[in-house]
Order: sequence, then structure tokens, then C-alpha cells
Amino acid sequence: MVSTKDYHSDYPNHWCPGCGNFGILDAMKSALAGLDLPPEKVLIVSGIGQAAKTPHFLQCNYFHSLHGRALPIATGAKIANHLMTVLVSTGDGDCYGEGGNHFMHAIRRNIDVTVLAHNNRVYGLTKGQASPTSMDGMQTKMQPGGVIANPFNPLAAALSLGAGFVARGFSGEGGQLSSLIQAGIRHRGFALIDILQPCVSFNRVNTHKWYKDRIAPIEENHDETDLIAALRLALGTDDRIPTGIYHRRESPSYTDRIGKLNDKALTDHRYRPELLKALLTDGYL
Amino acid sequence: MTIDISVLIGGEAGQGIQTVGLLMTRTCHRAGLYVMAVNDFESRIRGGHSFIQLRISDRPVQGPTRKLHMVAALDERTYGLHQSELTEGGLVLIPKDHADTMTQHHRCKTVDFEGVAKKAGSSILANTVAAGVCLSLLGAPSDLFENVLKSTFNQLEEERLAQNIQAARYGYTAVEDETFRWSWRWAMASPKGRLIDGAQAAAFGALAGDCRFSAFYPMSPATGIIQHLVDMAQTVPLVIEQAEDEIAAVNMIIGASFAGVRSMTATSGGGFSLMTEGLGLAAITETPIVIVNAQRPGPATGLPTRTAQADLQFVIHASQDEFPRFVFAPGTPFEAFSVTARAFELSERFQVPVIILMDQYLSDSLFVAEESFEAPETVATYTAADDPEAPSGYRRYALTDSGISPRALPCKGSTLVKVCSDEHDEEGHITEDADIRDAMVTKRFAKLSAMRKEIRPPEVIHADSEILLICWGSMRGAMTEAVRRLRAEGLSCGGVHIVDMWPFPDAAVGEILGKAGKFFVVEQNRSAQLGQLIRQQTGYQYTDAVLKYNGRPMCAGEITDTIKTKLR
Ligand SMILES: Cc1ncc(C[n+]2csc(CCOP(=O)(O)OP(=O)(O)O)c2C)c(N)n1
Ligand code: SF4
Ligand SMILES: [Mg+2]
Repeated sequence: MVSTKDYHSDYPNHWCPGCGNFGILDAMKSALAGLDLPPEKVLIVSGIGQAAKTPHFLQCNYFHSLHGRALPIATGAKIANHLMTVLVSTGDGDCYGEGGNHFMHAIRRNIDVTVLAHNNRVYGLTKGQASPTSMDGMQTKMQPGGVIANPFNPLAAALSLGAGFVARGFSGEGGQLSSLIQAGIRHRGFALIDILQPCVSFNRVNTHKWYKDRIAPIEENHDETDLIAALRLALGTDDRIPTGIYHRRESPSYTDRIGKLNDKALTDHRYRPELLKALLTDGYL
Repeated sequence: MTIDISVLIGGEAGQGIQTVGLLMTRTCHRAGLYVMAVNDFESRIRGGHSFIQLRISDRPVQGPTRKLHMVAALDERTYGLHQSELTEGGLVLIPKDHADTMTQHHRCKTVDFEGVAKKAGSSILANTVAAGVCLSLLGAPSDLFENVLKSTFNQLEEERLAQNIQAARYGYTAVEDETFRWSWRWAMASPKGRLIDGAQAAAFGALAGDCRFSAFYPMSPATGIIQHLVDMAQTVPLVIEQAEDEIAAVNMIIGASFAGVRSMTATSGGGFSLMTEGLGLAAITETPIVIVNAQRPGPATGLPTRTAQADLQFVIHASQDEFPRFVFAPGTPFEAFSVTARAFELSERFQVPVIILMDQYLSDSLFVAEESFEAPETVATYTAADDPEAPSGYRRYALTDSGISPRALPCKGSTLVKVCSDEHDEEGHITEDADIRDAMVTKRFAKLSAMRKEIRPPEVIHADSEILLICWGSMRGAMTEAVRRLRAEGLSCGGVHIVDMWPFPDAAVGEILGKAGKFFVVEQNRSAQLGQLIRQQTGYQYTDAVLKYNGRPMCAGEITDTIKTKLR
């Protein structure tokens, strides 16, 4: 049995006390241990930001990459060895800003990775500038007159791009978040879990209390397979913020659709000179 | 008798000019002749002007010439654009009578390519008619050409193949009453080597380097390499993905390589610009990657379908800060093959990025390569075996004298592999510690001394000459021919060709140049980038430079003319 202790890391953590990232970190540990996944079977790819530092605070394989580029790194790694469980730890700036184009296309490919987007609606690591999900009018040191743009809606965007697993969690609801992460990992194909997270240092608008007043679990009669119902939830016009699984429907993932990968991972193939010899003999102009 | 004949076939994009060129090139090759074909096309799908120029000889040819013996003009523009390149007594085949043709120093023969094609079934066969016309005038046996048609179009349905053969026959008869003064008797011999373009050779090289993943974003002139890889991937365990942009492409190959398969991408300068961030990521995480930059003129979009050698200084320095890397610039298809295979091996062994500089001319031109392209029997791997006894002792960035740390793969055993683009400690965790930073920079640079030992010295011909021409990459053929011609005119002239560009072979180049009275760099850029590099690395100042940057490949004649002028 894998326990949360197996995921414990001694690496010193410098997140601000009270940061929502701690709740997410705990939920990840309990989700991974709960699935009985040992650390050596897990790869976490992250970009750059406070959120992207997460894998340092866990015991697992990781690739802490570039700002915005976690998804292409994860895509390449998954294609090379699709037997790995691949998670992506990313921020709202990382995933929806700098990496926005990759987000769109990773969904289109339905690459089998689970994206945990720590959405604090601000750039934490660079000290408080607006992010793509900051609310219209939010004032920051860099946007003293308030943000002049509509916030990006990651759930609605992911749904409209055909994502097969779309969920929303809250860093303050650890039990629910842990089960969402497990469901995301179990889902074969691209899974997005947008995780609302207070940033106690830089986001004075979307505080812990602000979320507590608004979040509510999705009603039980919601049909996860109904895309339009999911979109309606995602686009919701009132103040409430539904948490839980908006949409879940499996279809073959990118690596499922590559015949060569059906019997074994690309990493397990061996160089075979006879194949090249054959090409060199008759495969030329 | 010495044969050295240049034929140009030109027309609009969409008229199948490249196909004519390919058919004629194959016919010559099959007859045991040496041949090369240079493609010249505009960045458009229809209209405009495109041409293919063949140089046919009974001796090896390595570069194009400026002097044309025959021009087949499928449209009028071709004639206007190329008549000045015709040699005295040359022959032009043109669809309609041309008013100013009579006064020229060359002969014009009217051939209604499209009319003849229609008789064979369709005007789209005009290119096959043109091939028949040219080959007939050159003296090529018609059954040889028909056999080439059969093997080229063997997937076509009977009817279309029959139409093509009919078009070829009509082409032969359309010029029955015409003679070409340089035609020769085609003595059939067995084919010399293989007919191959640089792009296909590089793709073969990738397979010889056990490449198993490639991500790309389409950009001329790099698409040829990827297209060949895609074709080959039908039979080898190679996965190819078209990424959403070059940023994604380079990061995908980094991810795949990290996970354990050899990976590459191919692009041109604009895409390479977008990849520079990823290049730095590969460097600091010490993840092996191979990037081919098929150069074209820039900056920005530049001349999309044309050739250049202007990214040398860029790729040597690309990315913020500094790190060791290899840069290679093959000069022939065989070099593209062997260098690409080597790139994968070196990249994995040293855990550094390798950049291969090709260009449109080398990638898209057809050459006869007489070297033997061998598949290696084995491919070495340099990944660390898992130590199940002490998995927690594994440190991805362990400090070693060589600078090379054991590279384990994620999820392949019990060790955890931790990789980080921030400066990191031995374990792979972020650090801001000044001493560790020093140690990590030192570690990465420690690889340099062993990397230098892998660098092969330049190839030199006639080393002890008074004048040396020195070039890199695809200029090899034109320079070699220029040296031969200058020597034939009594000049004491030698040539130097560099493939292994970085780490720069300082000592070898210094030794060669130290003995020469004068040396000239020969390059396809504006500021003599190799010349600057030589000065920086050896202290030797080039006498002068032969430069061309209009996007068209340099010919031997241009080099000899410039050298003679500069020596005067
Ligand atoms: C190419 C590049 N541009 C900018 C940065 C600076 N940068 C680091 S993190 C960050 C934003 C982080 O915001 P987010 O992804 O929301 O993560 P958070 O810190 O809020 O968790 C930026 C702009 C960088 N590292 N790389
Ligand atoms: S700046 Fe915000 S997101 Fe970053 S650690 Fe502090 S509270 Fe958390
Ligand atoms: Mg953020």
C-alpha cells in the first residue's frame, strides 16, 4: 500500500503561510496514495510559477520546465512512454496565458495527461500582476486603473474544444479535490481540473471567504455526459461557482490512436538495422 | 569526350516542372551518367516562375553552372528570364515564335508542348512532352526514358501511364528534324551511386541515429526532411507529430527525449528563432536533442523557398547565457547522412543540444552520391541503469569530472528522475546557492574538452598552395570546382571545407591557414560569418570574401570570377 508519506519531500517550501497551494499539495498526495500509485510510476511536468514549483514538494519524477511549456513537454514524454501516469502542475498564467496555444492543442489531441491548474487569478511568483483569469476591473500595482479585459473562462474553453474531462475544485475543499484528481487520473484522455486557489499575498478580491460564499457542489442530477449542460454550468450567469465534475466522456486518447504504441511504449522499441537497410536498398529516389 | 551539359526547364508553378526535372535526372542516372538537379521555385502554388536546372556529365558534378546549353521554356517568361544565361549556340525550345529570337546568338525551336500533350490525352502532360523533347535532343534512347516513366508512375493506373508514355513518344517525334550540337552517343553503363537530395539523406541519418520521435511545424525548406521521415515512419518505430508551433515542437522533443527516446525537429531560421527558448531548456536540463535548421534568407519571412548560409553566428550563440553545444554543417548528402547519425550519438553521450545547419540548396537539390550509406549494426545508449539497491541515492546532476552525470529515465525503475530549468542542485532541486551555481556552470562546461576531441578537422585539398578558399556547409561542391578551375589556369590555389563548426576546430584551422599566403572565405551571407568566426577563434584575418546572399546558390564560375578580380 502506498501512503501519503511516500510522497513526502524534505525540500524546504517557501510558499506564503495560508496559501491555497498547500491544500492542493495535500489533495495530490492523498489522491496519488489513494490510487496506490507509487512515486516511481508518476511523472509530474510543470511550467514556471508558484504552482509549478509543486513537484519539488513531492517525492516523484518531475520535469520542472519553462513558463507556459509544461503541456508540450508532457505531450512528448507521454508519446515516448505512454505507460507513465503524467500530471501537469501549472498556474493560470502558465497554462492560460503564456501556454494558451498549447492548452488549446493538447485538448484537441486528447493527450492522456491530468492538468491541475492552480487558478489564483493572479501572477503570484512575479508579485501580483493581473493574470488571464483576473476579474475585469481588478486593481494591481501594474494595472492601477483595473484590468481592462474579460476573464478567460477555462472550463467553457476546454468544453468547447472537446475536452473529455472537465472539473473544478477549490483548494479549501481537500476531500472533494482529492477525489477530483483521482477521477482525472483515471480518465483516459485529457483531463482539466481548474482549481480555485486564494493567493493571500496578491489577490485581495478573490479571498478564501469570497470563494466560501460562492462555491457549491454541482447538483446530483447533473448529467456529466451532457456537454450542453456542462457548458451551461461553465457559463453560469449568477454568482454561484459550481465545483465538481462538469463533463466526463471518454474517447480514444492520442496515444491510443497510434497503432505502433498498441503493443509497447516507444521507449521499449529497439534499434533494428534490418529496417533501415531495407529502406536504404529500395527506399530511394 | 567530356560531357558537361546544362539544361534548364522552366514554367509556371503547377506545370509540373519538378517532375520533368526528376524524370530527366533519373534517366541520366540510369544511363550511368553523373547528374545534379537544382530546384528553383517561388513561394506560391500556381503561376509565377519556377525552374529546374540539370547538369549532366560523364564526370562527377557537385554544383550548378551559370552557362546553359538548352532551355525548355514551357512559358514565355522562362525565355525572357534565362536567355542571357545561354551559351553561344545554345538551343531554346519555346511554345510560340518569339519576335526577338532571330537576332540572338542562340537557336530557337518552336515546340507546342501543350498542343502535343493534348494529342496524348491532356494538356497537363506538357511536362512529360518537354522531358521527351529534351532527352531526344540530348540523344537519350527513348526506351530508357519509357522505363523510367514506368518505374516512376508504377502506382498510376494503366491509362495514365499509357498517356505519359504516349506524351513522351510525341515529345521525341516533335523534334525529329532538329539537332542539338552537343548531343552525344549514350553508352549505357551501370548507375553511379544513388540519386538523393540532402533532405532524404538527413532523414536516413536520423534513422541511423535511432531517431524515434520528431515534432515539427511546417516551414520551407525544412519540410523535405520531415516528409521523408513521415514516409520512412511507415516501416520503422518512429512517431511524428505536427505541433501547434515551433515552441511546442522543440518542447515536445525535449519531453520525449527526457522520457527516453531519441528525438529531433527540423525547421528554418524563423522557426529556430522560436525554438531558442527550448534550446536553452535542453541545455540547462542536459536533455539531448537534435535540431536541423534548413537555412533560407531572412530576416523574418525573407525568401521562403531560397537558399542562404546566414544563420551560422546565430545558432552558435542562440539562447540567453552560455552552454556547450555542437553545430554541424554538412556539405553533401552523404555528409548530411553521417553527420545526422553522429548528432544523435553525440547529443546523447554528452547530454547537449546538437544543431545541424543545412539549407534550401542542399535539402532540395538532387545529387549523385557514390559513398555507401550503411545502416549501423548497433546504436549505443548512454542511459544509466536503475540501481534498485539504492534508488534514493540517485542524483540526476551528480557532479563528475567529465561534467556528464548518469542519466536515468523516469518511470523505468525505482529511481526518481528530477529535472529542473531553474539552476538546480545535484538532485535536481531549485537552488540559489552561489557555490552550487558555480559548480553547475563548471560542470556543464567541463564537457567541452571531451567534446572538442570529437570535432573532426576540415577537409583540405592542395593544402600547400599560396591561396586558399575556405567554406562551410553546402558551398563544398562549388568551391571544390572553383579550386580545380583556378588551378587549371595556373593559380596555386587550394580549398578548405568545414563541417564540424562548433566547438570550432581552432587548432586545425589555424594550422592550415597559417601556412597560406592569402585566404578567401566563400559563403552565402552578407558579412562573412565564417570569416568573422575564424578571426575570433584563430586570430587570422581573411584576405577577402566571396559572398552571395540573393537566395540563389553560388556557382564555381562566380567564385573564380570574383577571386580573379580580387587578385588583380
Ligand atoms: C518566458 C518567461 N516570461 C516570464 C517569466 C516570468 N514569470 C514567472 S512566473 C510568471 C507568472 C506566474 O503566474 P502563474 O502561472 O499564474 O503562477 P502563480 O505564480 O500565480 O502560481 C511569470 C510571468 C518567465 N519565467 N519566463
Ligand atoms: S504569492 Fe500567492 S500563490 Fe504565491 S505562495 Fe504566496 S500566497 Fe501562494
Ligand atoms: Mg497564478
